[in-house]
Amino acid sequence: MTQPSAPAQPAQTSFHLPDFCAGNTTLAVVLIVELVALVLSTARQPFHNNFWVDLASTSLFLLWQGLISAAALCRARPYLLRLPASRAYGAALLLMLLAALIVAEAVYQLGNRFGLGFGVMSDVFPSSHAQFLLRTLAISFIVSCLALRYFHVSTEWRRSVELEAQARIRALQARIRPHFLFNSMNTIASLTRSDPERAEEAVEDLADLFRANLSEARAWIPLKEELEIARIYQRIEQLRLGDRLTVKWEIAELPMRTLVPSLLVQPLLENAVYHGIEPLPEGGTIVIAGGFDGERIELSVSNPLSNNIANLKRGHGIALDNIQQRLELAWPGNARVELQQTDELYRVVLHFPYQERHE
Amino acid sequence: MRVLIVDDEAPARDRLKRLLSEMEDCELSGEAGNGEQALQLCQQQHPDVLLLDVRMPGMSGIDVAQHLNALEDPPAVIFTTAYDEYALDAFEAEAIGYLLKPVRKEKLSKALRHAARISSTRIQQLKQKTQSDAPREHICARLGEQLRLIPVAQIRYFIAEQKYITVHHHKGTDLIDESLKDLSIEFDEDFVRIHRNALVAERAIASIERDAEGQYKVLLRDSDVTLPISRRHSAAVLRRLRGKSDD
Repeated sequence: MTQPSAPAQPAQTSFHLPDFCAGNTTLAVVLIVELVALVLSTARQPFHNNFWVDLASTSLFLLWQGLISAAALCRARPYLLRLPASRAYGAALLLMLLAALIVAEAVYQLGNRFGLGFGVMSDVFPSSHAQFLLRTLAISFIVSCLALRYFHVSTEWRRSVELEAQARIRALQARIRPHFLFNSMNTIASLTRSDPERAEEAVEDLADLFRANLSEARAWIPLKEELEIARIYQRIEQLRLGDRLTVKWEIAELPMRTLVPSLLVQPLLENAVYHGIEPLPEGGTIVIAGGFDGERIELSVSNPLSNNIANLKRGHGIALDNIQQRLELAWPGNARVELQQTDELYRVVLHFPYQERHE
Repeated sequence: MRVLIVDDEAPARDRLKRLLSEMEDCELSGEAGNGEQALQLCQQQHPDVLLLDVRMPGMSGIDVAQHLNALEDPPAVIFTTAYDEYALDAFEAEAIGYLLKPVRKEKLSKALRHAARISSTRIQQLKQKTQSDAPREHICARLGEQLRLIPVAQIRYFIAEQKYITVHHHKGTDLIDESLKDLSIEFDEDFVRIHRNALVAERAIASIERDAEGQYKVLLRDSDVTLPISRRHSAAVLRRLRGKSDD
């Protein structure tokens, strides 16, 4: 499979600068500038009477540089993104130095024209033109390099966190148990001769189930569809387990239109079959029950417990962590998974809000 | 060649039956839906080969194979499995006959031709490598030609004699051919070693007493049997039982 790639994206290299038009980036720029101003004024002299004036003028001077740099980078970003990474960083650095130079020149001219008139401010404005510009350039070169490096690293870090989260969702989703797949194949192989019609149905069901599993990782679907996937899963397992598997659906109260992240219920049912029914020679009953109070939904899957506890501890945990994480991503802070366990029963309860639309 | 099919899923059994029916020199001896039934049929029908599902409720395929070895002339075993990562590794490493479901006809006929019985040590290795660090639910004792399954939950204690181990359970005593050391490792959760030759179920212990000579003894529930705790084991036994009662 080939992915359509946009032509304007050769910059997939590693140019990671944030959007300087955004408010929080500007705030970061201001903070950096103020820190540098503080360092400069503190380093210049032992604390003298003019410290605050010194700090204020340095801040003013540097803020102009910083904000003009940010504005330039904001405007230039679309162009920078098209360059190879190293050149883009070079260009960004040049832009920042240019901004510093312009501001320094302006300040010098200003001081030259008016500053000399104010006696108090005479030491605020620079006197030697060339030296002043050179010093400004040197300092702003060092600070710009550090700032670029900082923005690069922090943006890259944020991106990798996001990618990781996405990859995790994807990994969480592609998780039909191989055990289930091969057992289903075996059942179908058996039915093709003895009961071709049922074999055909089973293949159709299996196809639907896989389609749901392979669908877009962040898909939201109506609860009705989600429950349908669980029913399809049940039909396949029913062929294999026969009388040993009974599933009771007590879901009349549930609002079928509410949206849920796909594959919320089916994995729970799969767990219940794998850990609850299969280890029991006589089989048992799984109950899927739902409640709704107008705002929040409660959906539970319960299965009988086999006495083989060692078996139980193993798999449940992974699938549950998985669902917990996905609920958290779907409704941060507003959904949870609850476990109830008695001697004979294992019950997983999902709590989440009613939601008709997803932004 | 007479073949017994063991699988908890009916469609899986049906398919193997059909494949067997298409092979000339093979004959279906019977089919079983679980481990206990399989052991019973083995004694009645004396099949040559077992097609044995690894993952079954109750007694696993590997457990069944282990019990089979208590028979005078155990049948050959071919394991079948749909997908068990660890089991597969173990089978390949031990080169034991196994088939992947859905089973191909050629592979089945080839496996049947090469089927051989599996030695006890092999099964022990297999058990360690696969899921089955979970202890057995039954112990198998042999009475002449008969196999007897003793639920572990009914066992009160094991005593090692000269060559055999006596199992004392609710319904009497039986002899088994295993080592006390292995048993004490396998059932470490519920059984406690109190002496070089004795392994006792914790739930069967009523109390611990110390006699005039300073010798500790275990008093058993619902009986007047007392078992001595050896000096070497006494500290560990006391610590363990005390810890349990604190919870």
